[in-house]
Amino acid sequence: MTAIFLTDLEMTDSATPDNHLGQLMQAAQSGDAEAYTQLLNEITPRIRQIVRRYRYFMAADAIEDLVQDILLSVHSVRATYDPSRPFMPWLLAISRNRLADGARRYARGTAHEVSVESVEVTFSRGRANTTLEAYGDSQALEQAIAALPPIQRDAIRMLKLGEMSLKEAADASNTTVGALKIATHRAMAALRKLMKGQ
Amino acid sequence: MTNSTEQFIRQLAQDARPVRPLARPHARAAIWLALTIAYIALVLLVMPARHDLSSTLSEPSFIIEQIAALATGVAAAVAAFATVVPGQNRKWALLPLFPFVIWLGSLGPGCMQELRRFGLQALPLQHSLWCFPFIVMLGALPAIGMTVMLRRGAPLTPHITAALGGLAAAGIGNLGVRIIHPEDVSVMLLVWHVGGVMILCALAASVGVYLFNWRAIVAASQNTDR
Repeated sequence: MTAIFLTDLEMTDSATPDNHLGQLMQAAQSGDAEAYTQLLNEITPRIRQIVRRYRYFMAADAIEDLVQDILLSVHSVRATYDPSRPFMPWLLAISRNRLADGARRYARGTAHEVSVESVEVTFSRGRANTTLEAYGDSQALEQAIAALPPIQRDAIRMLKLGEMSLKEAADASNTTVGALKIATHRAMAALRKLMKGQ
Repeated sequence: MTNSTEQFIRQLAQDARPVRPLARPHARAAIWLALTIAYIALVLLVMPARHDLSSTLSEPSFIIEQIAALATGVAAAVAAFATVVPGQNRKWALLPLFPFVIWLGSLGPGCMQELRRFGLQALPLQHSLWCFPFIVMLGALPAIGMTVMLRRGAPLTPHITAALGGLAAAGIGNLGVRIIHPEDVSVMLLVWHVGGVMILCALAASVGVYLFNWRAIVAASQNTDR
């Protein structure tokens, strides 16, 4: 695992003083969408620069996914920013944590992967209990999916039912991977609620 | 910037609702402490205090022990709230160490006396189990309150945050138990009370990642923004 040693200098840009970003975040906290867009646009290149430096072996798509993950994390905990404190250490702490978190997940994932030299062409043994598996109420689930807003419904149909990758689904629906992630999260939460209410 | 990230940013900004910045760690700790002390006072109104409380309150060793336990709980609460604020110095996590050492030290002279009097083999370690439900009752609600408040922060160090939260709840819960439970054998207190608090901390630390993780925080934020 790559050790992550980020310094404030790596995220400091003399052209954009820290207090300017802090002011934008303060405005964003009070609901100013324009200031929030400007803030996210200004911090994204810095986040990308850090991700590229420490995840140089990753493909461009994966780096962009990681950048969006960090932006989503910043968005989720924006209430933890204290306007009386400097902005960059706050952003740096989140970026560093998400990078380390991603590295841990990557390490865990590869630890459970099994390398197979040759894959059997036919099944070597019969499938177990395929006819006795208990299914939930598929009709109710179908109705619940149909009741979702269109973007969430499409996300579920493509990603969960169609088993498409995020990239394929984003291309097919002319949207972004990040937007699909958000839609899927929301759809799953809505479905859980709807199915509990059945 | 790639189109996909530009679109992602637009969507985040469009969905964002106003948020109230979290109060500073010591202010949040003060709120939690006020609620916790009110709850413990309520329990003490219902439960009878130990029969020898008035005489015990005049013993300096008892007072020092309780102040140190309370200070440990308060320091742990401040430290726990500091760990969920990005950019805060990580040394905050060491804040409860000093009062905790004093808490342990306050039991030291009594332990030495009992060791000399009974010897290692005959130390009085039998503990009445009836106080266990009170420890749980006094500690559980403050711990739940602490968890709810901590989940509004960033899950940067889930294990440490949970251990500190557990120490805060158990440390202050222990204070309530000491007012109800008439046990003053230092060795027994060291093993059962301080040891119990440590076990609760370790348990909290082990489940920290399930309580405080980015997945849950992001999902909660999206439900709010919707």
